[in-house]
Amino acid sequence: MNLPIRMLGIATSIFWIMLIAFIALAAYSVKDLKFDFGEPEFATSPDGQLSFSLPLYIDNRGYYSLKDFHLSTVFADTEGAEISKDTTFVPVIPHGEKTTIVHNVTLSLESLLENGEQYLFNDNNLNISVTAGLNFAELLPAQISTNFTFPWGAPFYNFALGEPSYGRFDSTHAEVAVPMSFENHAVFDIAGNIRIELYDDADSLLGESQTIVYVPQQSAYNEDAEFQVPLNAVSTSAAQNWHFNVYFDTGFLEYGPLVIPYG
Amino acid sequence: MAEQQKKNKNLVKDVSFRVVKATVKAILVYLIYFLLAPMLAPLFGLIPGFMESIEAFIAVYIALMILSDLTEKTVFQYFFNTARALFFMAYLLLSMGNGVFSTSYENFSLTVNLTLFYTVAVLLSLLGFARTILQAINFMHEKAEASSNLPL
Repeated sequence: MNLPIRMLGIATSIFWIMLIAFIALAAYSVKDLKFDFGEPEFATSPDGQLSFSLPLYIDNRGYYSLKDFHLSTVFADTEGAEISKDTTFVPVIPHGEKTTIVHNVTLSLESLLENGEQYLFNDNNLNISVTAGLNFAELLPAQISTNFTFPWGAPFYNFALGEPSYGRFDSTHAEVAVPMSFENHAVFDIAGNIRIELYDDADSLLGESQTIVYVPQQSAYNEDAEFQVPLNAVSTSAAQNWHFNVYFDTGFLEYGPLVIPYG
Repeated sequence: MAEQQKKNKNLVKDVSFRVVKATVKAILVYLIYFLLAPMLAPLFGLIPGFMESIEAFIAVYIALMILSDLTEKTVFQYFFNTARALFFMAYLLLSMGNGVFSTSYENFSLTVNLTLFYTVAVLLSLLGFARTILQAINFMHEKAEASSNLPL
């Protein structure tokens, strides 16, 4: 019986050594694993998508390949409602190689506006949840996750129509100039058209103004919107009951009407 | 008389040898822990209370190892070996839980699934436990055989 016991002891010791060696090599490989992030890039597409690209450089100098690498980003509003979710999946990152992964996150402005127009006119914070996972050494599934807030800059921050001023246009029409102002706090430039309709208290269209705007990011816009209004309307109507309907069309986002009281 | 003195001398020699052997083994195990602990401390520091539990584990393990070495060639050696194997398994089961290790640092949370390693480690310690039981049976068997072979 001594021999089988000895053999059992030897076999157990060999398996323990193999297990410990594997753990030690895996731990040593983690040390030689380097992650680096590149410069993030923002871009807008004509279909209303805001793309965010983050290059990720992985230098796997360890002894084992990394399998099933996945990186997912979830954008949520302050209430926790999911706005967008994107996942990047890489089946294998071989050992001894440098791999570049570009993680693309698409944020649909339409779906953002579905959550409320405040994203268009007020700065806000979006909650971002990032989860990265991989199968280390083909046997060790690991996952890291984090949450942080992303400052959302409103493209039409503090949009306002000021006090109208009147002038005579011709014998039948008066010219109404309304100061229009906002600041573009977004990470993209605004190039588009703002259409403003002026209605009286009976909801009859009095005049319309189309303004082509180009506002670079982080800059302010201050211009007048001009209307030709029938003279009889100016003289007879109670102007304080008028209102503006504002329509925004920037190519990648359409929104309106935003109803603003006259004056 | 001379035979008795020789027997006593052998006993003292045997006990001294066991004490030296137990001491050297205990020092070696502690030395391994002493050298590895600073390297693993940053990793263990992520898990609250893990370093303290490792220290307690090493202390109990070394104590059982010393007792096993001191009681060599008696049935108590196998008791202590079995206790050591059981203690190792219990420690693994209690410290690893379901094998999924999770920790948080600032607003990052890390989850590592160690189920496979955990399973292999438990199976190997189970094998070690079976070995100590077999050794105990073998010891008792040899002892019974030796006493039955004694001239009447």
